[in-house]
Amino acid sequence: MTAIQIDRLSKHYGKLAALDALTLNIEQGEIFGLLGANGAGKTTLIKLLIGLLKPDAGTVQVLGLDPLRQARELRRQIGYMPQSPVLYDDLTGRENLLFWGRAHRLPDLQQRVDATLALINLSARAADPVYTYSGGMKQRLSLACALVHRPRLLLLDEPTTGVDPKLRHTFWTTFREMTTAGTTIVMSTHQMDEAIYCDRLAVMREGRVLACDAPAGLFASGQSTIEIETDAARSRHQVSDYAAALPALLREYQLDAAVRRITVEHEPLESIVLRLIGENNADVR
Amino acid sequence: MFANMLAVARRVMNQLRRDPRLIALSLLMPTAIVYMLSLFFEGVDVPIFKPEQFVVPIGAFIVHFITYALCAIVLVRERTSGTLSRMFISGYRPVDVIGGYLLAYSGLALVQSLIVLIGLSLLFDLGYSIEVFLTLGGIIWLLALLSITLGMLASNFARSEGQVFPMIPLVIMFSAFFSGVILPIDRLPDFIQPVRFITPMYYANNNIQALIDSSRAPIDLLNGWGGLLLYGVVLLGLATYTLREQ
Repeated sequence: MTAIQIDRLSKHYGKLAALDALTLNIEQGEIFGLLGANGAGKTTLIKLLIGLLKPDAGTVQVLGLDPLRQARELRRQIGYMPQSPVLYDDLTGRENLLFWGRAHRLPDLQQRVDATLALINLSARAADPVYTYSGGMKQRLSLACALVHRPRLLLLDEPTTGVDPKLRHTFWTTFREMTTAGTTIVMSTHQMDEAIYCDRLAVMREGRVLACDAPAGLFASGQSTIEIETDAARSRHQVSDYAAALPALLREYQLDAAVRRITVEHEPLESIVLRLIGENNADVR
Repeated sequence: MFANMLAVARRVMNQLRRDPRLIALSLLMPTAIVYMLSLFFEGVDVPIFKPEQFVVPIGAFIVHFITYALCAIVLVRERTSGTLSRMFISGYRPVDVIGGYLLAYSGLALVQSLIVLIGLSLLFDLGYSIEVFLTLGGIIWLLALLSITLGMLASNFARSEGQVFPMIPLVIMFSAFFSGVILPIDRLPDFIQPVRFITPMYYANNNIQALIDSSRAPIDLLNGWGGLLLYGVVLLGLATYTLREQ
């Protein structure tokens, strides 16, 4: 089932095309990552999905609803975490969560607030004003505000910036649990080591999707280096599809006993993304 | 319908509670101005000049100025920090925001109104009956509520704190010149006289003068209480309508 349908969506800021006839479908229950440099259109896309911006052209359906005309109905079902923590610094962590949760009129709000505070590991500091929190703690609280009402769709703008590895692991475990229960997660990220956990990724540049695939698919499009070491020599081979190239290479050695080691190095995702963006740059020029 | 409005009011009151300096300044400032007013009028020794005709409208003007400026700045800060957008995404509506702020600041406005009125009564020995005193308090409080709403309306047209500052003197100058406190409005050129209808001070001053100066001709409903209430309804509608979610 499709959670988000985007059809030739465009948004301009003056002459600048933030989104340029973008078409994309996001399935229910998947973690969908938006990758791209600053200004690629990721945040604009997220803002269009929640009806904070009005598109210049194209259509978008989120959970079967129009984000502009059915904004109220849609906003009950979504959670949004902006890029920088948007919180009331003079209130405590608990008061912040209660305020954002009250908008959804939850009957068990206090319990949910307690559970969410425990999830982000902030229970001990819940009664302290937010201005005493570190950047990472604010980021966690900001995420908690988006989670407290257990939304059907979670939109996260760089959610784990400033979060330590242990807590990031907890976040991802939570995200997986949520998607298993049917929640769809759309996130923008710069962190490649994190992007590989997404079910699918869209690489964006200048408001367009350059590639959209599962991380494995993107890796397959990348270069791999196969290094074969024998008693006598070491040879390196650059291949684009290592799974297909490896048998042919091995045939040359006919399972020679002298082959001591075969190493396969994949091109990192960051390099694939940068190459995609770079190639597109060349096209544009 | 009112649950979200109350949630906003509760949150704003919590923030006010955490900012004792703001509360102290909001209450001390009008007190200090009222005291300075008494020093000023003490030095004015003109037989035909009757301070009692001026001090209550000026007191009302002080409350009008402080509440208007404060709310204009506070709401624009919500916009620049992104919390306003996040409120809308979370399901709060413009009417919840406007209503919530109005409820939260109404208490502070009431205390301000009473402080100003008590200060004026003591320093100028006004000697009003309890009934007149309470009615004057009610008028100043209502004016303060309208000023809060006017502040929020002004902030809807600003995208930064810098943009809201020019709107503060603009509204305040209109209030000063078109309320009839400084100069009778019929002395102004005909074409500009209708401007008085867009400033809440005009209706407040009419009501105050009708109460404290029995020699004046009675005012009609539309220029008095009716005008004040109608102005409030129109202002609330405009502030809510212009608070954009996008």
